[in-house]
Amino acid sequence: MDNVDLKLFNKIEALNPDINTCMACGLCTATCTAGNFTDMSFRKIILMLQRGKDKEAIELVKKCMMCGKCMMICSRGINTRNILLSITRIYNEEQNI
Amino acid sequence: MRPIFDPFVLPFVISMTFVLLYCIIGMIRIIFQLPKEDRRKFLRSLIYPKSALKNFRDLVNDCLFHTKIWKRKPLLGYMHMSIALGWFMIIIVGHFESITFSPLRGLEVPFMQKMMSNLYLPIFFRYFAIEELSLKAQIFSFLMDFFLLMIISGIFIAVVKKKKPKKVGMKRVTKFGIKEDMVRLSLWTIFPLRFLAESSIANIAGGSFLTKYLGFELVFGGNYNETLSMVFWWLYSIDLAIFMTLLPFSRYMHIPAEALLILLRNAGLKTTEPRKGYAVAEIYSCPSCGLCIDVCPMSEVKDNYKNTAVYFIRNIRKGKRRRDVKNMTEKCLMCGKCIEVCPLGIESLNIKIAQRKKTYYKIKSDFSYLERLQDYKTTRPQDDLSAHSQKTLYFAGCMSHLTPKITRSMTKIFKLANENFEFLDADGSICCGRPMMLTGKINEAKALIAKNTELIKKSGAKKLVLSCPICYKVFKEEYQLDGIEILHHTQYINELIENDKLNIDRSDKRYAYHDPCELGRAFGIYDEPRNVIDNIGLLTQGKSDRDMSACCGGSIGSLTMSMEERDEITKNTIKDLTLNQPDEIVTACPLCLKTFARLSPIEVKDIAEIVVEGLEG
Amino acid sequence: MNEYRILIIGGGPAGMETAYQLKNLGLNPVIIERNDKLGGHLAQWDRLFPSSDSAETLLEKLKDQTKDIEKKLNAKISNITKEGNIFHVTLSNGIKYDAAAIVICTGFDLFKAEKKQEYGYGIYNNVITNAELEDYFKTHNDKRIDEPKRIGFVHCVGSRDVKVNNTYCSKVCCATALKQACEIKDEFPYADVYCFYMDLRMFGKGYEDLYLKAQKDFDIKCVRGRVCEVSENIEGKLVIKAEDTLLGTPMKMTLDLLVLMCGMEKSKSSNEIQKMLNINNNEDGFIETRDNFSGLNLTKEKGVFVAGACTSPKTLPDTIAEARAAAMEVFNYLKVNGQPSLVQ
Repeated sequence: MDNVDLKLFNKIEALNPDINTCMACGLCTATCTAGNFTDMSFRKIILMLQRGKDKEAIELVKKCMMCGKCMMICSRGINTRNILLSITRIYNEEQNI
Repeated sequence: MRPIFDPFVLPFVISMTFVLLYCIIGMIRIIFQLPKEDRRKFLRSLIYPKSALKNFRDLVNDCLFHTKIWKRKPLLGYMHMSIALGWFMIIIVGHFESITFSPLRGLEVPFMQKMMSNLYLPIFFRYFAIEELSLKAQIFSFLMDFFLLMIISGIFIAVVKKKKPKKVGMKRVTKFGIKEDMVRLSLWTIFPLRFLAESSIANIAGGSFLTKYLGFELVFGGNYNETLSMVFWWLYSIDLAIFMTLLPFSRYMHIPAEALLILLRNAGLKTTEPRKGYAVAEIYSCPSCGLCIDVCPMSEVKDNYKNTAVYFIRNIRKGKRRRDVKNMTEKCLMCGKCIEVCPLGIESLNIKIAQRKKTYYKIKSDFSYLERLQDYKTTRPQDDLSAHSQKTLYFAGCMSHLTPKITRSMTKIFKLANENFEFLDADGSICCGRPMMLTGKINEAKALIAKNTELIKKSGAKKLVLSCPICYKVFKEEYQLDGIEILHHTQYINELIENDKLNIDRSDKRYAYHDPCELGRAFGIYDEPRNVIDNIGLLTQGKSDRDMSACCGGSIGSLTMSMEERDEITKNTIKDLTLNQPDEIVTACPLCLKTFARLSPIEVKDIAEIVVEGLEG
Repeated sequence: MNEYRILIIGGGPAGMETAYQLKNLGLNPVIIERNDKLGGHLAQWDRLFPSSDSAETLLEKLKDQTKDIEKKLNAKISNITKEGNIFHVTLSNGIKYDAAAIVICTGFDLFKAEKKQEYGYGIYNNVITNAELEDYFKTHNDKRIDEPKRIGFVHCVGSRDVKVNNTYCSKVCCATALKQACEIKDEFPYADVYCFYMDLRMFGKGYEDLYLKAQKDFDIKCVRGRVCEVSENIEGKLVIKAEDTLLGTPMKMTLDLLVLMCGMEKSKSSNEIQKMLNINNNEDGFIETRDNFSGLNLTKEKGVFVAGACTSPKTLPDTIAEARAAAMEVFNYLKVNGQPSLVQ
């Protein structure tokens, strides 16, 4: 963790303060429409970004269909869709870690 | 002998020339900004007799009579009609009058001067005219006075509206700066000044009940004072000049812009770029009347009224920083109430979507995983039915999987109706693409649409029943499912009831029905659910329903709205729905259902659910 | 003894224990209970965590302690007025009391499981609640529980969930789930039992031992992940979806029986009384106490006290301890205020 650069994550955090309220219950992943076909997991994306594993996270983000089911079910009321959109805006695919 | 020219007409003539040039150049620019295909479509529509007739009808109805405002707020409708129609008639009748009784009749005047005089004569006719007593002349002056009175009465209501908006049925009105206030003041004073100017000279120029008898005799006491009269004519001209000069930079630009918008709309054009072409015509057509403020669900949250359509459009027009506009765009719930209430029918949602499309996303979606998918794992239809009847597909949608009561009820209804049905996404769906579309990522949405289309067509069904209005909208608008009938389950159930395929016991339970935005406003599906409920129990009236039904607060149209803000909207909508003490709230959208259920004091059910209850009870 | 009474609203464990202690202190309590018997939720329960002791034994003890105390069963409070420090209370059956103090012990309601539609309670036959399972343990009469091979327990139903407006932890469900899991495994030794939890909150005396026992002796499998959807397959079996968050993969599982661990909500029966006494709810929807430390039995109204689960989710030992503390608070209050009921 000492070499992890969280500059981009901090930007996401500033735009979506609710990102830190995740309690990792796994509802979003379990219910995920894309998760039915892939390893997409919103919960993991957040965790990966927090731990500096940007590349892995971006691979997952790409699979999202934006359906909003995770937002509908999240027990902490996190605006998951906007967080995902913010990630696709702020992070870069060619990110080097 | 009266003069045929006076310098006081100059301010008007100059400003009028400016405004005309400005509008013509603006119009040409807009037309050139249109995509090529659209431009051709537009020009063609001007020539075709059928569309030309529609253009004419709409121009008269919307620009002059303002029928759309009449329907919602009669007093405001009268106000607009009296000013617009009155002014228009004064110009038309004025022209005829000035041609018929031109002071230049019989005079040897150079051709150019004659032409130039047409610029100001109809406007300032009385200053140059001498009273004529023929019946024809009297009829003209009567008409001119009549329309002048009509305008003044409209301005009177406008003043009341400004001071006490509640009197004309508005809670909130748009807030304006000093510039707009000045333009408005100049508009309000044009016609009172005209009245004074024309009255002051009525002993020479003649007039009718208003200018001659009321104006000259009563206001001026029957005395003619040349200096005083000149002052009024100058003021009248200067006032007109102020108004005309500021018009392009004020909300009154909607007067010329609306005419163009109607023509463009009738040509079947839609916004594709947020700040070009059609959108510009829409943006300039916004009169900032603020009718959208009161109806916007966002107004429920303090300060969020600043995100309503009128302010959004104004910010685009002012060329505000892109970030501000973007933020406003992303807050909107996309419920469409503002469009419904807009007297000009400005489709601000399309501008917002076009703006969202502009957002640059560095990471692109990758749906290659869908290619591997060969077929939906469906629940197979009953074998005894599949042989002899057309297959019906049931597509519940992502969200309906969180509301098993809807899917269970629908399955039951299909079975009771002896339908040869297949639950396509029983094991999970591919998203319909609408949520993606709402984020502005159209190409990504198209990928989802293509995959679903492929799988649905493969099934060979002739009918597709959907449970989610979000899906319904995109299926209806974007899917090319030739030959497959697309129904939302409210429509499907209503058909069954009308064909006596379901026997429902009617109870005396009271239901309030909530129109989901994407079923009601988007497709006008208002009567089907009401008809269904009428067969089950009693339908109670909410505070506002049908096209004025409020968003549940859960809409995926908004990207950035927080849960706290959404909750305020939800609470307010529930309050509206429970106005007449219903026992239950009924809706037809899994997202609305879930959103309401969280905060509602009474039970919230889907329409399919109460149908099944009616069958069993 | 004299005419001023101490009114105990609610005849559950909290009310019974408070009444007993007040009587020991020389006061004259009366228990007002809306049902036809004392005991509250305790009377519905079979055995108690962590040690699986009989609920009936505890209930009998509490009943025995209160046998000489006046009780009004099937009674509701229809009106309360305050005059000086005295409450004039009228019951629905017309009986009137003049009370020097009121102790609210209205307890909790179990979360209504049908509010979480995605869990399918009331839709699928084999989805039951913790209370229903407890009733089965008592009566062995529930057709839905028929030799289940695979059983799931869903923790936190109606707790820690903003989507049902209950953001708090209900405190007792984790231990109850493991207790019930062990018990049902005892009944059906060949069944696989899974507990779907978010955090196992095993904070009390003997709870961790219960956890260990469940793992070691009963082979209960704990899966860290919240169940998101329940559906039914063609054979009519339940299919649940959750994420196995420790493995980081979504999981689907077929079950024969699903037990929903419904959490606690403040009992709606206290709403009317709160209105009469002008007492608010706290942010969790329970009755507001004067503070979170030393004023847990006090409300902002002088002479109105609270005990038990009406102020927050509580275990039975917590409730009984609080009931005793409430009795002490009442006694001190009357002493300081020179109430007539103390002047014998």
